[in-house]
Amino acid sequence: MAAATPGSDEGDLALAGVVRRFGAVTALAGIDLAVRKGELLTILGPSGSGKTTLLKVVAGFEMPDEGEVLLGERRITAAPPSKRDIGMVFQNYALFPHMTIAENIAFPLQMRKVPKAEIRRRVEDVLALVDLPGLGGRLPRQLSGGQQQRAALARAIVFGPRLLLLDEPFGALDRKLREQMQLEVRRLQRKLGLTALFVTHDQEEALILSDRIAVMEQGRIVQLGSPEEIYRRPATRFVAGFIGESNLFRARVAGNGYALLENGVGVPLPPGAPPEGSEVGLMLRPERPKPISAGERLDSVFSGEVVETVYLGETVKYRIRLNPGLEIIVRWPFREAGESLRVGDRTTLGWNRDDLHLVGWS
Amino acid sequence: MTAAVADRPAATATGTAIWWRNNRATALLLLAAAPALLFLLAFYLLPMMLLLAQSFEGGSLKAYEKALTDGLYVRVLIDTMLIAAYVSVICLALGYPVAYFLASTRPPWPTIGIIFVLLPFWTSILVRTYGWMILLGRNGIINRFLLDIGLLSDPLPLLNNLNGVLIGMVHVLLPYMVFPIYAVMRRVDPALIAAAEGLGAPGWQIFRRVYFPLTLPGVLAGVTLVYILSIGFFITPALLGGGKVIMIAVLIETQVRQFLNWGFAAALSAVLLAATLLVYVGLRRLFRSDLQWS
Repeated sequence: MAAATPGSDEGDLALAGVVRRFGAVTALAGIDLAVRKGELLTILGPSGSGKTTLLKVVAGFEMPDEGEVLLGERRITAAPPSKRDIGMVFQNYALFPHMTIAENIAFPLQMRKVPKAEIRRRVEDVLALVDLPGLGGRLPRQLSGGQQQRAALARAIVFGPRLLLLDEPFGALDRKLREQMQLEVRRLQRKLGLTALFVTHDQEEALILSDRIAVMEQGRIVQLGSPEEIYRRPATRFVAGFIGESNLFRARVAGNGYALLENGVGVPLPPGAPPEGSEVGLMLRPERPKPISAGERLDSVFSGEVVETVYLGETVKYRIRLNPGLEIIVRWPFREAGESLRVGDRTTLGWNRDDLHLVGWS
Repeated sequence: MTAAVADRPAATATGTAIWWRNNRATALLLLAAAPALLFLLAFYLLPMMLLLAQSFEGGSLKAYEKALTDGLYVRVLIDTMLIAAYVSVICLALGYPVAYFLASTRPPWPTIGIIFVLLPFWTSILVRTYGWMILLGRNGIINRFLLDIGLLSDPLPLLNNLNGVLIGMVHVLLPYMVFPIYAVMRRVDPALIAAAEGLGAPGWQIFRRVYFPLTLPGVLAGVTLVYILSIGFFITPALLGGGKVIMIAVLIETQVRQFLNWGFAAALSAVLLAATLLVYVGLRRLFRSDLQWS
């Protein structure tokens, strides 16, 4: 239980040993997590990983079977949602359809018995803050998706909550709007110094938004770290596969700094490899391998044939079948049309041992 | 020019084809509904028109003058609307919680509940009304029981008065209140309730500010239905009112059966129809802005 010390000044929101079971299914298998003050922490996981249950436990819609939830100094494990002082943005915004935007935003203030004049002032202020000035009189259905999203955010922050919860709030928006809203939420959260817990299954979104990411798998947090750490040094094979694109080769550590791939080819390993005989996964991000030009020396060099190209704008993704019967995906900057590779072209590529990252295979 | 003229018939043919493609569904649906439409036309609209014509017997408005100025008839019309209002309010008070129960419990309770709400529907209204007479009379089962256990010294006046009429009518009309409300309740998004809770609303505020307003369309539908059905009620007030509670339908029947005064009965019917329509339009106006928000 070292991860979340009750009442520690580091954890603004702290979960200690939280377990939640549904019949035979264990949705949360002992969660220890401390969200720092002013931090945006993302819970990232595929569906069924327990992230939604975790969010519900924090919001108060689910009670944990074991463990404690602390918000600052306060134990809120058994507190009803209405007494938690948490602002939440729901997946489909959950704006009250029969109230105007201003009435929606005023709702949490009215529940806290804020004087009328102050409510009016604060609603105006927050509408300006989320860039919806003058739209207070509209009904939710009269707003666009992005505007509804802003209104939902305004309603969640207007009462100055201790914690902001975001439950996959960008899922319903088209790609361009989504990116814009992500950056805007990030800007607002920083500006207001809000502690925020964000739940998503979208790893790209998590990398853009988060101070730290907690990756969940089967009811556990399998890795907690900055987006860069998670991307560069995934702790497990699952994280390596889930975050970003990667090539993952199964290999056996062979001694003197080498590992043997499944087809028997030796590959130099980065320092700090596990003992000889261990099964490992060699993770290689697609942007790491380089095309070889004459006279260059790299630790591992392969030649192969391009079997698929995907044009991605700034970069091109190639699937290349390497000579020893391996397939690898690489992503290289788009070069002038004449120079880029086509299906059937042969090419030579290579990487240095430091480009590899080792994860346990099992 | 010649080319344009030559094109014309072809263009029209295409136009017809396009019209047919766009409206085929409507046309077919109309065809499917035709038997029912014809039935209503022949056996409902036509007789109603004939009845209306009778109310202007000899081209005079005398019947209407009597219906709208004679103290007795005005009184009965007002009583009828009041009784309909009482029945609507009682049905709403009893029906809303029932609808909530049906909409919010876990299976199999909704199914069981719906069967119980529907049960009275499968019994003849006459049988049910006689049943109430046995239950509610001076020597009825309820009074006997209460007297026997010593809770009362004199029997309660439950029959042949307004009490009896209200009990009987509410019993018959309750399902018409429950089902529209139930249908709307089932469509209320649970996330909205969760949101209200998360934003700090205690239970009764969630109900007052969020849940109830969201179910208002169902309430409106139920109230309208019950009110309109109540206004024209005949058997129940006739039997349970014991001649002391006169509703307008009873009066119309008397005019026809006893006095054979078709013209006046027709005028009363027209007034009743007009009053019903007025109430209907009024209720819709009242809630118009809140009718739909899904």
